[in-house]
Amino acid sequence: MLLKLLDVSCSYGAWPVLNGLNFAVGQGEIMGIVGPNGSGKSTLLRAMSRVLPPRQGQVMLQDRDLYKMEARQVASQVAFVAQESGNEFPFTVEDMVMMGRMPHLKRFQREGPRDREAVDKALHLTRSSHLAGRLITELSGGEKQRIIIARALAQEPRVLFLDEPTSFLDINYQIEMMELLNKLRRDQGLTVVMVVHDLNLASHYCDSILILKEGAIYAAGHPARVLSSDLIQEVYGCRVQVEYRSPDARPTIVFNTDRRRFFKENTRSVHIIGGGGSCGRLYNYLTEKGWRVTTGVLNVGDSDWHDAVRLNLKIAETAPFNEIDPASLAYNLKLMQEADYVLLPPIPFGSGNLANLQSLLELARDGCRVIVIDSQAIEDRDYTGGRAAKLYTSLVKYAYCQVASENEALLIIEGEAHDAIQS
Amino acid sequence: MYGSSKINYRLTILVLTAALGAFMILGVAMGAVWIKPGEVLTILYRHWGDPASLVGSLYTHDLIIFTIRLPRVLLAALVGAGLALSGAVFQGLFRNPMADPYVIGVSSGAALGAVTAILAQRMLNLSLTYGVPGFAFILAILTIMVVYRLAKSGGKVPVMTLLLAGIAVNSLLSALVSLCMYYSGSDMHQLVFWLMGGFSGRGWNHLAMFLPYAVLGSLIILVYTRELNAMLIGEEPAQHLGINVEQVKFRLLIAAALLTGACVSVSGLIAFVGLIVPHMVRLISGPDHRVLLPLVVITGAIFMVAADITARVLIAPEELPVGIVTALVGAPFFIYLLKRQKRALF
Repeated sequence: MLLKLLDVSCSYGAWPVLNGLNFAVGQGEIMGIVGPNGSGKSTLLRAMSRVLPPRQGQVMLQDRDLYKMEARQVASQVAFVAQESGNEFPFTVEDMVMMGRMPHLKRFQREGPRDREAVDKALHLTRSSHLAGRLITELSGGEKQRIIIARALAQEPRVLFLDEPTSFLDINYQIEMMELLNKLRRDQGLTVVMVVHDLNLASHYCDSILILKEGAIYAAGHPARVLSSDLIQEVYGCRVQVEYRSPDARPTIVFNTDRRRFFKENTRSVHIIGGGGSCGRLYNYLTEKGWRVTTGVLNVGDSDWHDAVRLNLKIAETAPFNEIDPASLAYNLKLMQEADYVLLPPIPFGSGNLANLQSLLELARDGCRVIVIDSQAIEDRDYTGGRAAKLYTSLVKYAYCQVASENEALLIIEGEAHDAIQS
Repeated sequence: MYGSSKINYRLTILVLTAALGAFMILGVAMGAVWIKPGEVLTILYRHWGDPASLVGSLYTHDLIIFTIRLPRVLLAALVGAGLALSGAVFQGLFRNPMADPYVIGVSSGAALGAVTAILAQRMLNLSLTYGVPGFAFILAILTIMVVYRLAKSGGKVPVMTLLLAGIAVNSLLSALVSLCMYYSGSDMHQLVFWLMGGFSGRGWNHLAMFLPYAVLGSLIILVYTRELNAMLIGEEPAQHLGINVEQVKFRLLIAAALLTGACVSVSGLIAFVGLIVPHMVRLISGPDHRVLLPLVVITGAIFMVAADITARVLIAPEELPVGIVTALVGAPFFIYLLKRQKRALF
């Protein structure tokens, strides 16, 4: 392990920021540090780059205590890319990037061809060779950021720290920079530790992600294992969708633009037997009202399933065009048992979802509150040659109530919920 | 300089040095008795080569030159160079275009030292050769140490705190100086003249006092030019480049303090040179200290020698304090430069 943090705690004066952090970064690894504002990311980076001595604990670079090493020695192996600095002096781009060679030059040693070579290469890698003679005061924010990166690369480091390096870059340069880091990692075994705000960049380009919350490590590991909508909710306090384009793909965080705001979570839950493609409205309405909605058994990929996923409901799901598998059936049963109510909208029944009906019947017999919405006669939606109709008729006998429309069903459950709250 | 489009450095140094030489010769030539520049050169050459040949008027002129004018002009050049150099260092350290050599308390400390020395000597009826410069220097250094201590917290000395502490201490000591002046009675004139700064009556003994500290300070500064460059981009980026920022800051502050203290102790408070000359030079040389500092040294020397000449000539046979000349002449010239230049000054 190239970099190790052993029980590191940092504070600014008496104000504690990091508490007892332990982790390691391997050679050639790209690690992303993410977390909410104020969680200590920049502080951690500064502690790791020999700028903020920890109050407690050690930072080890190749098994040597970083803070016991000389600054120049460390700088010849470790480079840091800060966000664009405010103070601007009219240095030329070359002079600026040449400063990166300082750790390698002795006190009165002049810059030689080796140094010029390093500078040229750094400018080339960041696609800024054409800016060489310009003054940095004349550059745009993005160009300046690339020059700062070039300066760090001119140091020819083994480890590169970056603090939100992509904030000022347009999407083209953001991707370009990440690709550059990837390339350097492949060609030179560069190790990268960066603080990123963009979770998608972190997800797609980092080998591992460290999530900080309130000065401690909340989670660490491969992006696919660490980034989930629940975790993001717990750490950041917002609901997002986490999607996978394919099973091996990295997670992509998607804004849930259809978000509902929860002013007061009603603690009641309702399970909706879905599958007719018409439950989306019910899902939307009930979740907006604060109900905990679960649903099943749905076929993955049908429209109800998409609606349910978008709203982050608990789903008992099964592969499409198949009979319901026992596991999902069991889960569906469990969800129904946990719910205060079960709604059965007028869905069609085929051999695929006959089992749903059976489990429902059993539960109704046991006292579960099943509300049957009977807006379309069962005969018209029975594709099982009568078997479904028979089960259905039995079900109606044991059901909590039978209503003729969705609205009536909603009135009933809402009314009861309202009464419960009043009493 | 790595492939830059800057001015031809060597040529500039040559031209400036030549200009300095010319001004210094002019400075030696001028005075109550006008000595032709050609004659100045002859006397200089013969003073060491062939002293016996200096007879008659040559002998008198030689005397004038070597006891009065030469030390004075030399001192003016060196003090000008020193103030400009330390001004450049402070501007770089503080990353602040308004910084000058007096910003962290040197001026008021030296003033207090000089003022108390002058008053004490009269009251105790003493007369120490090095009384006034010595006291000024000691108190200047002491003041800087106090300011540094005040600004230090948690092992670090933030430049902003240093600046503010300097301002506070300056105010306090200036008040004390004013108090002394209020009660100074007949010495007021002498005090005021010292405060306004000048080179009249300065001799070889002043040079001897000045040189050790000035040279030491300057050498230390020149050693750290690369670090000064790096610190311009910020203290943390400089730290990331492997520079021990607090150590370098401390050493540069000491060096600049020694240099400024030496200047002020022998010539009083000459304002403006340390502030303006670095800016003037930076307009053509850019911020790279490896180019800037040598040019600043020579330009500062020229500036001061020229100012001293003007001070002697303007109301001849009387002399104006140099500080008035530096401000009167320097400021409009700088405004002109400011208007002319196209790119960002700082």
